[in-house]
Amino acid sequence: MARNHWLRRFGILLILVWSLTPVYWAVNTSLQTDVQVASKPAHYLPPTPTLRNYRAVVSGGGDIPNAIRRSTVNIFIECGVATIITVALATLAAYAFARLRFRGSKILFFAVLATMAFPAYTTLIPLYKIMSTFGLVNTYTGIILVYVSGFLPLATWILHSYMSSLPLAIEEAGRVDGASRMQVLWHVVLPLAVPGIISTAIITFLFAWAQFLFPLVLSSDLSTQPLTVAIAALQGRHLVPFTLLSAAGVYAIAVPALIVVTLNRYIVSGLLSGSVK
Amino acid sequence: MTSIRRHPTTAVLAVGLACTGMIATACSGGGSSSGSSKTSGVTITVALATTPPPKASLDAFTASTGIKVTWTNTDWDSLQTKIAAAATAKTYFADATDVDWSRVGELGKLNWFYPMEKYIDTKSLTADMPQITSFTDAGHVVGIPYDASFLVTTVNKALFAKAGITTMPTTIADYTTDLQQIKAKSVVQYPLNIPFAAAEGLSTYWYQTTAAFGGTILDGAGKPQFATADSAGYKAAQWMVDALKNGLVPPGNINVADSQGQQTLMAKGTVASTFGDYSGNVGSLYDLPDSSSVVNQIVYLPTPGVSGTAPNMSNPDGIGIPKQAKYPAAAAKFIEWFTQAQNQADFAGVSGPDKVMTGYFLPSRLSGVSLLTQKGTLIAGAQLADMLKNSAKPVFPEGAPSWYPEFSRAVYTNLHAAATGSMSVADAIKAMSDTANKLSSGS
Amino acid sequence: MLPYALVSPLALFIVALALVPAGYTIVASFYKVQALDPPTRFSGLDNFRRLFRDTAVRESIGNTLIYVVIGVTLSTVLGIAMAVTLQHRFRGRSVLIAVLILPWALPGVVEGIVWTGIWDSNTGLLNSALNSLHIINHYQVFLGQHRLLTIFAIELVQVWQITPLSALLVLAALQNIPGDLYESGNLDGASAWAAFRRITLPLARPGIAIAMVQAVIATLNVFDQPYILNGAAPTGASLTMQTYFISFQNLDFGEGYALSLIITIATLVVSLGVVKLVYRPVEF
Repeated sequence: MARNHWLRRFGILLILVWSLTPVYWAVNTSLQTDVQVASKPAHYLPPTPTLRNYRAVVSGGGDIPNAIRRSTVNIFIECGVATIITVALATLAAYAFARLRFRGSKILFFAVLATMAFPAYTTLIPLYKIMSTFGLVNTYTGIILVYVSGFLPLATWILHSYMSSLPLAIEEAGRVDGASRMQVLWHVVLPLAVPGIISTAIITFLFAWAQFLFPLVLSSDLSTQPLTVAIAALQGRHLVPFTLLSAAGVYAIAVPALIVVTLNRYIVSGLLSGSVK
Repeated sequence: MTSIRRHPTTAVLAVGLACTGMIATACSGGGSSSGSSKTSGVTITVALATTPPPKASLDAFTASTGIKVTWTNTDWDSLQTKIAAAATAKTYFADATDVDWSRVGELGKLNWFYPMEKYIDTKSLTADMPQITSFTDAGHVVGIPYDASFLVTTVNKALFAKAGITTMPTTIADYTTDLQQIKAKSVVQYPLNIPFAAAEGLSTYWYQTTAAFGGTILDGAGKPQFATADSAGYKAAQWMVDALKNGLVPPGNINVADSQGQQTLMAKGTVASTFGDYSGNVGSLYDLPDSSSVVNQIVYLPTPGVSGTAPNMSNPDGIGIPKQAKYPAAAAKFIEWFTQAQNQADFAGVSGPDKVMTGYFLPSRLSGVSLLTQKGTLIAGAQLADMLKNSAKPVFPEGAPSWYPEFSRAVYTNLHAAATGSMSVADAIKAMSDTANKLSSGS
Repeated sequence: MLPYALVSPLALFIVALALVPAGYTIVASFYKVQALDPPTRFSGLDNFRRLFRDTAVRESIGNTLIYVVIGVTLSTVLGIAMAVTLQHRFRGRSVLIAVLILPWALPGVVEGIVWTGIWDSNTGLLNSALNSLHIINHYQVFLGQHRLLTIFAIELVQVWQITPLSALLVLAALQNIPGDLYESGNLDGASAWAAFRRITLPLARPGIAIAMVQAVIATLNVFDQPYILNGAAPTGASLTMQTYFISFQNLDFGEGYALSLIITIATLVVSLGVVKLVYRPVEF
């Protein structure tokens, strides 16, 4: 493949510059003082790197750090629980769709996938009314239920594709040994499907982490507001310098960035498992 | 594989929210109140776009009333979205929340809030709290103003002095000449701050400029008063656009909103003046060394009008009780406490830094203001108190119309378009007055 | 009974929390639902008629079309370029894939902060960099001045976010191309460009089609980027922004819903059109 080496170099450079420049710039800004960022031309490296913006965001007893810390706890709870429920339900359903024949299977599978084609707001909006009817506004439960309903279709699809690609022979061997379907699912299919399940969980978690709108309306205060909502609130406030805002932004992307860096092969295989056919 | 990114937006969610809430229930907003009249042993939620009073003050309130307060500080835009979302879906979200002066007509008509006179003797309040009239719609008080913000011109006297200007301008003509002089002498390249981003702050700025040119925006029937070329509103728009064209305003301001303009332009000494600035910004922003490099340089200026001092447009913040409140009576107790003269003076710093509520600076009660001026703790307090008493006027003397948000959007999008040059001032004014005419005739 | 037991939790969620609300809100667009003009009543196509008379809506239709054209084109071209870069194994390839998907994984809320730092007319990176390279001699205003430039700058932010997925989708298609196809191409003395045009591009069509569809859906529904970077300015207001203004500021929910229904239908129609035009089944 030497013939297009320079082309590949160009491509590599493109990906690096394209993906990293904006993120680098936010980090660079967050390590400077207010006065330093105002300089022309800008400092391409922080002249005297300082963590004071990060300290202002997370430490101490002020209004801002309190909100950031509490909403960090919230976002982990909401994303974590929603991910677990989504993956569990999607695994069961995906197995049924992939391996069992039953009446209405095609229609139901299509209906599930069709909800993905709608822009989210046409399906998820009235949820607010439903949630308020059941008294679930401003509760973890309400936010988690909405996340689960939003991410189930994609999760089911990814897992369905993954399970369909598993070799049938092993399962059949299990059936011949007299194991029930549930036993086969539990002892044979699940262990084989672990990589697919991990992919699905990571992708679901990342989607949940990025949510802003639903939690904005479904949560009323800091008892349930996730980090994204707390950061948007910072942006709308007077007297929050851009350097501090950048630090808050970098703080909020640290977790997804870490996941991408360490677990990217699962993300890639998960996102692609449905598209190949 | 279809879209994976599910990142719906405030907007879109709101749309649907509203629909669902309304289809079945129409939207009288009224409904029977399910709130409890309990006033002790309860916890109420207060949602405002501001930081809470100090914990000690809130604790004292709890000790004396048995009412605990959970404070939610949300940015203004999100808060308005939530108020509307909760009201249309008839869902509880707070016991007391923001009632903006500009939305009084709308909120009054929607019947989303309890009339305050049900809980508080608002009649006797009026003398001490003049702005309460701006919060009254069809005889009902929708909210109680808790501060007394108004728009005021701020100038950087150090930069003015550098250009050789020592007497502050008193007319808009002098003011314009002074700005030109500052530019001509290269003290700063762009001396004037106008937030031209298509957002609410641009409308507000234009209202203040219109007042300076001696006019009003709408009459009592909601008809535009700025349609002709000799009207104050027209001249104000022309003045603002010319200021940008003639290089008095930084070109980048086409995308600068009010808060940014104050933080990054005024507070850094990049510009020398903001015509429609927020009262209190000197104390709460420009004099703070952490966020400003122009400490002790910014002063308030009586609005330079056509021939002498012109009014300051008031934009007070109010607090009211939504119909879905769980404990309306307790919320009323809180509002009463929150708007007491002594407490307001404390929040503004009369009893030392321990009792200060960050960002709060001017009581809505005249008695609160006088407590403050007696002590002399408020920066430029006497001047602000004088403005509040003598020149602060509501933007809409007859109250904001119920269609204000749509009108305001027409104002700021068209003024923005005129500023970018994609539209002439005449066309922008025509579009704005057409909108007012259409809305006021109740299409 | 087992299959039903396995799918019933999923079915319950989808029916109760997706299909029912969707049907419910579609009905709403045929009603007059105005907070300031109660009660709610049937109004037929009235909401739709008023929408098309609204100049702001018509302007936004134009803007949105430009967003879609720029966004779909750029994300597809960049996506293909990045996918081709990653087509064959090389050292550091997996690291590069992690870098590639990073923008996709970041919350949209943070995007606004990140890109403000680039476009800003006073302190932005772009101004500073162009100035340092002596391409411009004084700082420029990138947003809000000229409609096309504004829309381009705003859309670039969205392209940043959606391109990783486009690249991955194309890459998936590329990985299915048997290597020996290129070998035989090589024997014919075909240049890299010719191989790309004759082998890579045609065989990647299924992936490209799906990548374009996801770009269509994202760009037709663009909201955050213009709203955060350009306010309500007519130079960049999108259709979804109008749904916000109409329903949440004018409190005309019926009309707002009608508009979002139109956007949904447009999304489906354009997506299907793209599939018809671009998608070709590929057999190896």
